[in-house]
Amino acid sequence: MKQFEISSKQKSVLFGFMGVGLLCLIITFFIDDAYRPRFWSNFLINSVFFTGISFIALFILCAKFIAYSGWQTVFKRLWEAYTQFLIVGLILMAIIIVGLFGGFHHLYHWNDAASLASDTLLQGKSGFLNAGVYTVLTLGIVGVWYFFARKIRALSISEDGQTTFSRITHQKLKKWSAGFLPIGGFTSAALVWLWIMSVDAHWYSTLYAWYVTASWLVSMLALTVLLLHYFKTLGYFEYVTVDHFHDLGKYIFGFSIFWTYLWFSQFMLIWYGNVGEETIYFKTRQDLYPALFYGILIINFVLPFFILLRNDTKRKTGTMVAASVIVFIGHWLDFFLMIKPGVLHTYHEVAGGGHGHASMNADQSMTAKLISDAGAHGAEHASTFQMGFTIPGFLEFGTFLGFLGLFLYFVFIQLGKANLVPKGDPYLGESMNHHV
Amino acid sequence: METTNKSILFGLYNDEEIVLQALKEAKGQHLDVYDVVSPFPIHGLDPLLGIEESRLHIAGFCFGLVGTLTAFLGMSWIFTKDWPMIFGGKPYWSVPAFIPITFELTVLFASIGMVITYYAINGMGPGVTNPVLHDRLTDDKFAIAFDAGNASEDEINKFKAFLENTGADEIQMKTI
Repeated sequence: MKQFEISSKQKSVLFGFMGVGLLCLIITFFIDDAYRPRFWSNFLINSVFFTGISFIALFILCAKFIAYSGWQTVFKRLWEAYTQFLIVGLILMAIIIVGLFGGFHHLYHWNDAASLASDTLLQGKSGFLNAGVYTVLTLGIVGVWYFFARKIRALSISEDGQTTFSRITHQKLKKWSAGFLPIGGFTSAALVWLWIMSVDAHWYSTLYAWYVTASWLVSMLALTVLLLHYFKTLGYFEYVTVDHFHDLGKYIFGFSIFWTYLWFSQFMLIWYGNVGEETIYFKTRQDLYPALFYGILIINFVLPFFILLRNDTKRKTGTMVAASVIVFIGHWLDFFLMIKPGVLHTYHEVAGGGHGHASMNADQSMTAKLISDAGAHGAEHASTFQMGFTIPGFLEFGTFLGFLGLFLYFVFIQLGKANLVPKGDPYLGESMNHHV
Repeated sequence: METTNKSILFGLYNDEEIVLQALKEAKGQHLDVYDVVSPFPIHGLDPLLGIEESRLHIAGFCFGLVGTLTAFLGMSWIFTKDWPMIFGGKPYWSVPAFIPITFELTVLFASIGMVITYYAINGMGPGVTNPVLHDRLTDDKFAIAFDAGNASEDEINKFKAFLENTGADEIQMKTI
């Protein structure tokens, strides 16, 4: 039972990642135009992605506590460490909020006064979509999540100090978990609407929150598999066996299908209903983001499905690591595709001098405008592939690396603050003898 | 009707942990265990008995694939060649509309195919009687069974000694 401590090598690598990320953000900031759509959308994508991962880790941890689940106990400290990142997520989202009030960014169409004045739809939604509600709910809800994350981690760590076996702390842990599940479940939906869905301010979908949450969940599980394999090579988490990886593999497999199910449910209803206000969301993505639109279905569904379908691939390091890397990047690309088109639309509305602005058909003219704009940008060939806008460029991946470094650094620090093996957890024995 | 007429020597145990321990010992003594009967699946039993991983799931995949192709090709043919109809202004070959039925037929073919395969391989089905070693094996007892029909007197004594030493409550011989 080794106490984890972040090594100087890990520190320098992770600071290197963060340095790359910061450099990419700075470069993006300066090569961007005055409205900075690329800089701020990159910032939003990564903030939401990693904050969501830490939220879903807390949610799953709570679900496991109250479901009397035991197998995750040997590595639950890793998930607890994820949840502590919520405080950083709070700061990152606070930066977005500062930008909202300061007018530094134009991520959200509903925050643009000129658009709001002439747009009936935005006016109708302004009771919910406004800077005040955004601020209160973001800070309030992430704050509550962080409060629960701290409470649950503190209770979990306090179990380690017990000299005699007692279930009282674990009962308390269960009560706090039971409290968090409904709170986390409902509030996360509200934050998904505000943070991501309102980027496409005219559009809405009722199962969008589930879809986003499924994306977070698969990313979280993939990152867990990768980190556990990494830590095992260093000699930590010695009780994590191939059986735990087998179960994590089943989770990745199952929730990749769940994600696809939600993706398709959303797509098919909108396709079938054929209402212009709704289909524009997919029309834009099919026409301007074809590589990503069809690509994420392949890397988030087809590949994990066929790689992890067999029994033995979930037990082998190579296939599990490969599948995890694929879906982790795949779901980050999913967030890219959720956020970038809407931000670009807002950018064109705000910066484009308002052609089609006053008309009721603002959305319908959007596709045509974006295509013509794509042509104008890459003057030599009217391509739909615009680095940084319709497909991620090096700066996007660099920024992603930076945020990943920040997340991992924080997780590593948190791992060092407690025993890696929760020796007071009543389910530890069950988890150590876990057999699939 | 199955008529095997095997004489089976078996010992009844009270706990699955004892059974697992006994099986490890049987492996050490190179005893040829005929079967283990338990009211519920025991973790770690299959490798001790030398049972290979079932290939039922491969059959399941194949059945599923047949279902996928049946549904998808079937609908494609019906809606483009056999009886083209326009629904809601969509093209004849509307792939998204085919997906739910394709999914359902995949599940249906895979599940029914696997059930039939399982029944066929195990010789189960309507009208087949299954020999029961002991009534309490479906409730709270566990049995390790040896094939006594082909064994010599010496071996049978060895089996009996083994069952006694590993903690069997009761030792019985039964012809099934």
